[in-house]
Amino acid sequence: MNYVEWLRVRNCLKWLAIVLGALLVIGLIIRITVAVQMGNDESFVKHTMTEPGTKISHSVVGGINRTTILNPREHVTITIDDQPDGGRVIRVVEPSGSHREHADHVTIGSFSATHSQNGTTETTIIDTDAPVPFAYYLAMAGLVGLIVATIFGATFARENDGHLEIALLKPVSRVRYAFGVIGADVTCIILAEAMTIVALAIGQAMFEVPHFDFSGANATFVLVALLHPFAWYALLNAATASLKRGAGAIVGFSWPVALAIVIFSHVNLGNSVTGETFHAIFWTLSRVIPASYASVEFGHDDSVSTGLAAGPWADSAQYAMLAALALVYGALAVVQWRRVEA
Amino acid sequence: MSTISIKNLRKTYGPYIAIDDFSIEIPQGCVYGLLGPNGAGKTTTFKCALGLARQSAGIVLYDGAPLVPETLEHIAYVPERSVLYDWMTVAEHIEMQRRAYRKFSVSRANELLLQFGVDARKRVRALSKGMRTATMVALAIARESDVLILDEPTSGLDPINQRHVLNLIINESARGATVLFSSHQIGQVERAAERIAVIDRGRLALEGAVDDLKADRKIVEGIFPSESFTLNGLASDPRITRIDRNGRIVRALTSHDAQDVLARLEALGATGLRIVDLNLEDIFVYAVAPSEATADVVEAAQS
Amino acid sequence: MPVVLTVDPRSGVPIYLQVIEQIKRSVALGVLAAGEQLPTVKQLALDLTINPNTVSKAYRELERDGVIETAPGRGSFVRSNGVSETTKAAATDVARDAIAAAVREAKSIGLSADEIRSLASAAINRWFREDA
Repeated sequence: MNYVEWLRVRNCLKWLAIVLGALLVIGLIIRITVAVQMGNDESFVKHTMTEPGTKISHSVVGGINRTTILNPREHVTITIDDQPDGGRVIRVVEPSGSHREHADHVTIGSFSATHSQNGTTETTIIDTDAPVPFAYYLAMAGLVGLIVATIFGATFARENDGHLEIALLKPVSRVRYAFGVIGADVTCIILAEAMTIVALAIGQAMFEVPHFDFSGANATFVLVALLHPFAWYALLNAATASLKRGAGAIVGFSWPVALAIVIFSHVNLGNSVTGETFHAIFWTLSRVIPASYASVEFGHDDSVSTGLAAGPWADSAQYAMLAALALVYGALAVVQWRRVEA
Repeated sequence: MSTISIKNLRKTYGPYIAIDDFSIEIPQGCVYGLLGPNGAGKTTTFKCALGLARQSAGIVLYDGAPLVPETLEHIAYVPERSVLYDWMTVAEHIEMQRRAYRKFSVSRANELLLQFGVDARKRVRALSKGMRTATMVALAIARESDVLILDEPTSGLDPINQRHVLNLIINESARGATVLFSSHQIGQVERAAERIAVIDRGRLALEGAVDDLKADRKIVEGIFPSESFTLNGLASDPRITRIDRNGRIVRALTSHDAQDVLARLEALGATGLRIVDLNLEDIFVYAVAPSEATADVVEAAQS
Repeated sequence: MPVVLTVDPRSGVPIYLQVIEQIKRSVALGVLAAGEQLPTVKQLALDLTINPNTVSKAYRELERDGVIETAPGRGSFVRSNGVSETTKAAATDVARDAIAAAVREAKSIGLSADEIRSLASAAINRWFREDA
């Protein structure tokens, strides 16, 4: 019954596959270039070699190739382990000027750096192929989901512009037809996100074997990655479902306007009456913008926390709001489309 | 699902009255022509009948029942302008219809496209206006539906394809379908339609069987001996729709019993009496733009 | 079986009457022989590009006038019994209509009954003299 919409979905995914494929090809070219450039490890530690007295030795420890660089004058020891999965673990041990105990950990993508100090020894461990917090992948997928949601943001308006005599003369109720359209578009968002994750994994696999950290918020973040695009799709369609013309302009202006509202709802506009009023207005408006409930923090610890106050309760409230917005806006869109006239 | 009943249809767009108190009955198996000037309300009538627009008042019934989604299984529609998806191929449109309706003959659709000279592999944006119309006609006929509604189905088509569409309409009628169509080509309507309605500025101007209208509506012409004559209340004769006086010539447009009216004119002293036949175009023009009609009709009769 | 009829939809004469007249004329002229089958309603409608119900109506009247007979399931045929009377009746119908139209026309121009009668005699003399 919604064959036309499924054709649109197929075309969208086809183009996405082409774009992702092109990016992977570029990634492959970079990979090959880098591999050629870094033929041997020496270029990586070239600067250390220029120090007089630096000793470089190679060994095999537990099946892993290890390069050890000793700088006896500075008392710095660097070991570089080439992992079989393509990553590298670099360990730098050096004396520190001060005398304290602390530990630090930073994760950026698959890069993880741990800095600890024990007495007068500073140890820095860098792992280039640490487990990636899956939230990174989900965030990228979510971005693609938002793009697809925007592409289908005027899905009903598209039918209104000269095709109602086909769409509305099918032997099903308008509501059922509308649900069929929504079902196809939502499936497109889900498949697009899945394709993005697969493409990212393939991309990373060109450099190193990917490992994923699914712990804590990394797993639940999938709800944001899906519900935010669903809610955005629903909002755009609620705004355009009655239109025959001009839907493109609304969709085009929608994201800067939404972004501006969300940003201004966070910004302190001053303590004056004007400032406070405007802030109140923006804050109120932002309550109906899905993006207000989809913020993410990549913290210093190895998990991801979502925007509201910490704790599982706050996250649930966020997901619930996104789901509620998706349903309410979706219903608004369908109700409007029920009444449209050819 | 074969009789169509439009009762007291009214459609307004804000203050603008598009259709007002329009009622027609289309029996089963009838080919019904809807005539009217541009903007008279033909397309709006179709939209209301198909649920594409919501009427302000009145009701449209199919076999005595209002339109529900299931009814659309038995109705095929050819709109006035192309509603096809530019980015899809004709073949994809066939597939779309095949999946949407229980009854759809893919082979018939392909056969008709071949007859019209449309390549099913082409995208609609690559088709001319006439080919798009032909495609919509093919998709509708392939439904083999009980009711077929067509809005200007021959616009943009060359004369051969126009004749082809007309033959398809006749074929559908022979199959037992009820056909409702509008056309500016009165010759086509004259051939294919059994009954017609004329809609003018949203109102029903004329309605009836084509044969009856042609048999009944005549112009009775008489010539009086001098320019001063009285018609003795002839104008109030219920069989006379209008009277035109041009010098000594009087032309009375009758709605029936032309012979009797001729006799009345004769009794008033007119000579050179004759009855002029009217074809459907004449009847139509008289119904919607009477001031245009007089000169044309007499010229045609004299040629 | 192929019957050559032409109808003029643009004339003021209803199409079904034109069909009736033309079939009667064909029978009268012997173009349609006794017992010959007429085209089906659908076929004639398509051939002439006219409404099938118009053809049905014409066939029904022709049957009422005794010119044709319809056997359900088999089709419509020119009546074979008393064909000469049918032919004559058909011919008479056609001629009657033509003469009536001529008289009406002449009268409308202003000719008197006597003038029309003498015109008719002159025409009869002319056309029958050539046959002798």
